[in-house]
Amino acid sequence: MSTSAVTSPAPSRLTAASSAARSLPSRAIAFFSGPVGLGVKVTLLALMNALSVWALVVLVDHKKWPAVAVLVAVTALLDLIYLSARRAIPAKFLVPGTVFLVAFQIIPVIYTVQVAFTNYSTGHILTKPQAVTQVLQNAFEPSANGRTFTMAPAKDSSGHLALLLVDQDTGKTYVGAASGLKPLPTSAVTKNSDGDITAATGYTIPTGPSRLSLADALNTFFVPAGKSQIQPQGLDSAVEVKQTLRYDRVHDRFVRISDGAVFRDNGRGSFVSDGGEAIEPGWKTGIGFSNFGQMIHDSQVRGPFLRVFLWTVIFATLTVVFSFSLGLFLAITLNKPGMRFRTFYRSILVIPYALPGFLSLLVWQGLLNDDFGVVNRNILHTHVPWLFDANWARVAVILVSTWLTTPYFFLVSMGALQSIPAELNEAALVDGAGPWQNFRKVTLPLLLVAVAPLMIASFAFNFNNFGNIYLLTGGGPNTSDGSVAGATDILISYTYKLAFVVGKGQNYGLASAIGILIFFIVAAISAASFWRTKALENLA
Amino acid sequence: MTAIDQTAAAIPAARPATKTGPRRPKLRDTWWRHVVAWIAIVVALFPVAYIASAAFTGNPSLAGSSLIPRHLTLDNFKKLFSPGNSTTDITSNASNYPHWILNTLIVATSTAFFTVMLGALAAYAFSRFRFRGRRMGMLGLLLVQMFPQMLAVVAIYLIVVHTGTVFHVLALNTLTGLIIVYLGGVMSVNVWFMKGFFDTIPAELDESARVDGASPAQVFWGVVLPLAAPVLAVIGLFSFVGVLNEFIIASVLLQSDKKLTLPVGMRGFIDQQFSQHWGPFAAGVLIAAVPVVILFMFLQRFIVEGLTAGSVKG
Repeated sequence: MSTSAVTSPAPSRLTAASSAARSLPSRAIAFFSGPVGLGVKVTLLALMNALSVWALVVLVDHKKWPAVAVLVAVTALLDLIYLSARRAIPAKFLVPGTVFLVAFQIIPVIYTVQVAFTNYSTGHILTKPQAVTQVLQNAFEPSANGRTFTMAPAKDSSGHLALLLVDQDTGKTYVGAASGLKPLPTSAVTKNSDGDITAATGYTIPTGPSRLSLADALNTFFVPAGKSQIQPQGLDSAVEVKQTLRYDRVHDRFVRISDGAVFRDNGRGSFVSDGGEAIEPGWKTGIGFSNFGQMIHDSQVRGPFLRVFLWTVIFATLTVVFSFSLGLFLAITLNKPGMRFRTFYRSILVIPYALPGFLSLLVWQGLLNDDFGVVNRNILHTHVPWLFDANWARVAVILVSTWLTTPYFFLVSMGALQSIPAELNEAALVDGAGPWQNFRKVTLPLLLVAVAPLMIASFAFNFNNFGNIYLLTGGGPNTSDGSVAGATDILISYTYKLAFVVGKGQNYGLASAIGILIFFIVAAISAASFWRTKALENLA
Repeated sequence: MTAIDQTAAAIPAARPATKTGPRRPKLRDTWWRHVVAWIAIVVALFPVAYIASAAFTGNPSLAGSSLIPRHLTLDNFKKLFSPGNSTTDITSNASNYPHWILNTLIVATSTAFFTVMLGALAAYAFSRFRFRGRRMGMLGLLLVQMFPQMLAVVAIYLIVVHTGTVFHVLALNTLTGLIIVYLGGVMSVNVWFMKGFFDTIPAELDESARVDGASPAQVFWGVVLPLAAPVLAVIGLFSFVGVLNEFIIASVLLQSDKKLTLPVGMRGFIDQQFSQHWGPFAAGVLIAAVPVVILFMFLQRFIVEGLTAGSVKG
């Protein structure tokens, strides 16, 4: 927020500056010198500080002390940088972007690494004390000879929730409050023919929507009654329940009251009995390299992981190889100086590249629909299960990816071809080389010098091309191994499903671990690419 | 968007066409090149032609669609923008498309704007100043590139969940939250690209302005930035399209149907429901695609230069 305030008035400045600059740059400089420039700067700084103060108030209100400290330090540093007149000039230019870089790129990376070494997942979300509390709250079951009640939720005179209860065996009436269970004289209660309480002196019984709105409060409400307690079941009845687990604070373990079974902290975020039975929920804790180890040792994880990894490599490789070959072929075909309609062809052929990719992918999903899609119905006149058969889906993904990427390689090949001096080819022709030899020995090697780094970059890009998979097939179809990973899932979409597709549980820890693995793979590819390019020479 | 519009208008003047090509070759020698080109055009354009036809055909279903519309109508466009209750009636063609368009414009425009501005600031520092940590900084930017935000999507999600409990403007399901997360990608390879362009602007311009008494900030805003307008426009467009195409983070952070961006919304709109929604969907595709394609055509020359310099649209 603070940086957005710093630069938001820029468009007006840019507009003014660019029109003036064309005619007379010095006029623009004069315009920004003196009061105007100073005014803008002071306004922006004031805005930033105002935002910081607001954020400070909110943070103090929430008692987030470490965040308060960071905010104060950062704000002070920013003021210092922008108010020191002649010093730290590079910092003035670098700071706005860097603030965001740190907050939403570097910190997430650090946090990803941290999560990757934990068991953070469905059932392991809470802290340990929270988990213990929740286990104790859940550890009740109806006791063997416990009482059951007809219930009417009510409010007492001071508005507190109370339960008007009729024992279903004895017909005795009670009122249950958070403080305990008290008998209620029959005379104070009005019952209808079914035996439900409809009125009681000193209590109001809500009806209609206000009755339904009590549901949440009833969920956590209980009436202590000696060793057991009475818990509401829905809106109309209540049962007497007994605690099943006892927490032994000294030894940090749970004991099952019925048979004395002991559940100990297994060091991996769960209380587990000697028989291997675990208590839900567990808690979030560090588990070292387990998430990474799973990919090697646990056959439930290793199988899908290896399959997805292999397919990711195949997908990225074939997409680049096919797109480059086709793009280069088109570029060579159209790279005929003076050929008619050349510019027109080129403008049309880049359209698949200019289209927003997500739209093309969703359209292709429709075109490849096996019943109604135009590809099956109007072109092939067959019934190819494009998106429903594992292998056809893989073919479809690569075809569509190639369709999307070919214009890119067409453009860059065209550019690279035009930068090859014609004299080289002419010299080869004079030396007696045929067209094919000329292409193989002269054109292609020169072209690859320029295009090979782009191919590597494209490979790295497609390696993580979430959209091409997820928007076309959704990673599907499902496979028989019961994993969340479908037949066309690549690593990044597999990660996404592990973390966010509800149903099979959310495994943030494993998802982060795979994210880190992808980083190392892509980093290795990119490193290879950077060594080949001259990018690093610009550093001089 | 202002930067992009201006530049689009300025390009024809800035780059006068000078065509002095060689002698035109005979059609007898080049006919096969034309055949190949036309085959490629058919393959490249048939989905586009098909979607355009579906958009202007009255029949909303996929089964009833054909390549040549029998009669033209704007029904699908009207359906797309008519208010309805898509939540209650799954076969209804109503959608929150107007919301999705607006959300996407807000998010993509703000992100593109700040990407250009903050990126240009940093690139200028790397291009013109010599300071301690400069080399490390530029290498660091490259390194950070290899860990794209989408790999950290789990961490980003958890961070936004926690931040949102304190600052409601940055919570889950807010556009501000999404924009601010996207701004984490401001300092990207774009900075390298812009730095390369700034390097080609003679430093003498800066120096003469400094002699006239301009401060570094004045030189940047008044002299260098206007000259870099074309490259800023291209970076802006790439950033805009990048956000437009972004699915993972948007789908994780945005939740209610009215808050979605186009990719997330439109995927939900047609997912498994081609038979009902195909016509309005096609209309939606056209509306979203046409402006982007036109912008691309305007900036094509610069984009090609940018591509060969090594940036990948993503």
